[in-house]
Amino acid sequence: MPELFVAMFREEWRMHSTIFGSLGFALFPVLVSAITFMGSAMIPYLEAVIPGGTLSLVVHLQFLLLGVMVGGFGLLGQEVMNRRFGQASLLAYSSRSLPISDRRIFTTFVIKDTVYYFLLWVLPFIAGVTFGIPLSGLSLSFVGLITVTLTLSFLFGLSIVFLLSMLYAKSPALLALVLSGVILIAAVIVWLQIAGMVYLFPPYALYRDFSPLVFLYSVLAIAILFSVSISGMTLSLSGKERHYPNRYGEIAGWLGWLPAAPLVAKDILDLWRSGAFVGQVLFSFLLPLAVIWVSLSVLSAVLPDVQILFSFAAVAGVIAATMYTWLTEFDSVGTYTFLPLGTPDLIKSKFTSFSVLQVIPVLTMAGTAILSGYAMEAFPAVILAVSVSFYACSVMIYLTGLWPAVMVYNARVLLSSLLMIGPVLLVFIWLSFLDSLYACSAVLLALPTYLLVRIAFRKWASWEKVFF
Amino acid sequence: MNTVIEANGLTRYYGDLAAVDNVSLSVEAGSLFGLLGPNGSGKTTMIRMLTGQVRPSSGKATVLGVDVVKDPVLARVKVGIIPEQETPPSFLTASEYLDFVAKIRKIEGAGEKAQWWFEFLDFADKKDVLCKDLSRGTRQKLMFAQAFLHRPVLALIDEPLINFDPVMQKTVKEYLREYVCDGGTIFLSTHILEVAEEICSDVAILHRGQIVHSGPLAEILARKEKLSEFFLNAVRKDSYA
Ligand SMILES: Nc1ncnc2c1ncn2[C@@H]1O[C@H](COP(=O)(O)OP(=O)(O)OP(=O)(O)O)[C@@H](O)[C@H]1O
Ligand SMILES: [Mg+2]
Repeated sequence: MPELFVAMFREEWRMHSTIFGSLGFALFPVLVSAITFMGSAMIPYLEAVIPGGTLSLVVHLQFLLLGVMVGGFGLLGQEVMNRRFGQASLLAYSSRSLPISDRRIFTTFVIKDTVYYFLLWVLPFIAGVTFGIPLSGLSLSFVGLITVTLTLSFLFGLSIVFLLSMLYAKSPALLALVLSGVILIAAVIVWLQIAGMVYLFPPYALYRDFSPLVFLYSVLAIAILFSVSISGMTLSLSGKERHYPNRYGEIAGWLGWLPAAPLVAKDILDLWRSGAFVGQVLFSFLLPLAVIWVSLSVLSAVLPDVQILFSFAAVAGVIAATMYTWLTEFDSVGTYTFLPLGTPDLIKSKFTSFSVLQVIPVLTMAGTAILSGYAMEAFPAVILAVSVSFYACSVMIYLTGLWPAVMVYNARVLLSSLLMIGPVLLVFIWLSFLDSLYACSAVLLALPTYLLVRIAFRKWASWEKVFF
Repeated sequence: MNTVIEANGLTRYYGDLAAVDNVSLSVEAGSLFGLLGPNGSGKTTMIRMLTGQVRPSSGKATVLGVDVVKDPVLARVKVGIIPEQETPPSFLTASEYLDFVAKIRKIEGAGEKAQWWFEFLDFADKKDVLCKDLSRGTRQKLMFAQAFLHRPVLALIDEPLINFDPVMQKTVKEYLREYVCDGGTIFLSTHILEVAEEICSDVAILHRGQIVHSGPLAEILARKEKLSEFFLNAVRKDSYA
């Protein structure tokens, strides 16, 4: 269905380019390239400290992570299209008027999204590395190799999460069953030494051993995961009528002491009933953190374990900040902006809902610290993670208002957020390396967090929604 | 008489297109004001500006004495609104949605009021259904109830009848008439001329963003003209101009 693909592709392009101009959007990949290009200069130094092979594994894991972060198509199914484009999208609904099946439309949507992410992140990264060859001294054939293996890593991460989220949406029990089955089989294969552990991550196996057979294995793995996910999706824009007892008043009552409680209660019901809550926690938080944990553990040869813990805490904070996008991306604010609410009220409510969700990083971080044998460090690690999370969220609110998922693809927004978050992260990681307790100084971030949110109220108050 | 809506030179551009072009009008308390016009003539844009959801490119408007540009939220506190697209948040049930609106609008005794609306608009059996699973007409009922839940003195309603069956249309028209008799004011946009002819006290015809006629409905009917003919003439004359 190439016409449908082209039409959807154009719709997405227009949405972004009407919001911040074609230039801001077109510059986004250029910026990603430029950053990678500059990063290339560091490769010789990194290779000197990090043992061979480790760096490449970490990079492959980052591309896996990128795929993992964007692959949860299964969670909301068609609701994703609905909420992304709002009521305005005629394409998402064309199955109602045109002889095209729901599945076809959804498949096209997923492929379009994948291509978009590829063009916005993967390709610019590879271009940056290619231009950086004079700086990094990498060989052209090596760059050719990683072009293939990194792309496959991204697709592999994406299709795994697509499959897992599809299974989860069908039934959590099914997901648990399939997952334990897969782990069991993998364990047996590795244990019996039928194949090495590396084959569980086919694109990386391909990187290690570039042969037609392994290439075929990687591509097949991705193709199978992807097609099973697509064909397993339950698609219907009109399911059965769902009844629920009225829980709203009760929840709003409990939360009465919070700012913007009526809206927070709505957010909570929305997240819970859409099934997005547990799903997002699993696929957009815990799973990415697991990948990050593995990436960092690989570095244990160069970093003491306790430093890995604090680096993890800081990065977990950044990932936790993306919970703000769960609250905004999947909420069509147009459905209640005709009520007496201003943009500041909405931002306040989203920030409050975000704060409620911070229970999750607190528990995760405390658990990680204790399980990895650093119970004494649990407290500073939690403080670091949560402070970073609030701060990064406030940066997002300041830069993108209520529209982080869309606005991030603006070169200026990306650059500003890197500059506002990156150095802060490094400072606090460095402090925690000096002494675990110094990590607690991250509470100082509360002040800029508060200020940024206040400024955002004013900045976005007069901003008019031009889309949806 | 008491003016509840006063617009002066309201203009709104979308790019180069003047969706609403230098519109001035005033609406008196107690009237049932119909804003008529063909598709794309700017009715929805007009209602959005009057309720502070869209900022005018130029011009001024006050609603119940509130400047809608300076204080859009206060304007929305005072009025009731039915937006063009009936879209309550998808994962609340109908009754939860009315609770939500009541909380935002700080309405006392919302439970009974909501119940009254469920019965009046005959959808009590759907009150525990998720909004996203409701039929179009039922969602429209919910949006109708939402707009009047706090008994505003003024309601701006965009095509409120379009998804209703004939029985429901009758119920709603009667409600609107009574509402105006009790001292309320309605600002309604529609292109269903029979509805306008039946219930409006005043009408304005919008065409390509400009007012081509405005005045009491009785004036038009007194000329023994049907509203539909008058409308077609008003709109056509301009097209050939
Ligand atoms: N958000 C927007 N962006 C760009 N153009 C818009 C937007 N909203 C409305 N327009 C344009 O403004 C004009 C007036 O639109 P509006 O929705 O006010 O018309 P309407 O009278 O309500 O039409 P209908 O009877 O079909 O509801 C149209 O030409 C429309 O294309
Ligand atoms: Mg309209």
